[in-house]
Amino acid sequence: MIEYWPWWLGALALAGITLGFWVIIGRTLGVSGSWSRTAGWRESRMVERIEAPMRKNPSAMEDALLAATLAEFGEQQTLQTLYAASAGAATLPNAKRTTPTAAKKSAKPAPLADRTPWGVHVTFLISMLIGGTLAAVSMGELQWHFDLGSVHTMFFGSGMEMWVALLLGGTMVGFGTQMGGGCTSGHGLSGCSRLVPASLLATGVFFGSAVAVSFFVEVISK
Amino acid sequence: MTSLQQHLRYAAFGLLMGLTLSFIGFTNYGEIHKMFTFADWRLFLTFAGAVALSMVGFFVLARGQHITKKPLHKGTIPGSILFGVGWALTGSCPSIALVQLGQGYIPAVFTIVGIFFGTWAYKHVHREFFRWDTGSCE
Repeated sequence: MIEYWPWWLGALALAGITLGFWVIIGRTLGVSGSWSRTAGWRESRMVERIEAPMRKNPSAMEDALLAATLAEFGEQQTLQTLYAASAGAATLPNAKRTTPTAAKKSAKPAPLADRTPWGVHVTFLISMLIGGTLAAVSMGELQWHFDLGSVHTMFFGSGMEMWVALLLGGTMVGFGTQMGGGCTSGHGLSGCSRLVPASLLATGVFFGSAVAVSFFVEVISK
Repeated sequence: MTSLQQHLRYAAFGLLMGLTLSFIGFTNYGEIHKMFTFADWRLFLTFAGAVALSMVGFFVLARGQHITKKPLHKGTIPGSILFGVGWALTGSCPSIALVQLGQGYIPAVFTIVGIFFGTWAYKHVHREFFRWDTGSCE
């Protein structure tokens, strides 16, 4: 029988991770978001590729828009529109004697969302797996298991039913956390600790439904 | 932050998560089941204590700062119900299945495949039918 950490030590460690993540990485901790970026790696990669030149040169987007506008409407009409627009903005202190180019330069390009590359999210998920291995080694428990322990086997068996239950349950976890916008870490730890209404509601609901199903499973397998 | 720095930082926190979740027994189905049936309050207190300590921490560290709040939308309740049912069936929230596999629990492969498929499927269902702003977890 493994001796697990007492509640206060676990609480300290989890709170340390939640706060440390926010302080060091600058985002709130949330594992289902990493799943989302990993399962959507194709979209993530496409977005990263398209954004790359805009990150390198923030005005690339505006240059491209201006070029497209010129191609569509011709120089005369584009200039007229830009002059009209800058005349309208003349009340602004930095818009005096504005030429179209100056108007274009004075406007700050909208910053792109600071996106974490999807590969980093994969690293995050894989390192959790390695953390599990290290923990098992340190507890002298590292070995292959073909079930999830005696309690799970008692409810779901160890054959086909167990595999189906895990596949189905896993799909519900994946679909549900995306639909609900977060999981135990994102809603439960990062959200509840900041009293975010959506997170408090989500945590109450997923905890409550897990309680209901757990009692149900226990009753029907008796 | 360069890309390498990001990889290293996320890897460090991933390792810490994997270790902590193992040491507190959050990866053990029996322990999770005892929490959900209130047969043992240890894990419940661990979680509640972590929320309380983080609340104090955010209050002190994040004073006056704006941190994005997840939006409440039509998917919050049905999604969370699905997640809760799945959690009770598998004993696994999104990080647990990975840690279980790392410890050598082979059935966790099925949970991982399920989570991956469910996450992928949601993207498509959402794009086709829902289109509400779910706010991502990152």
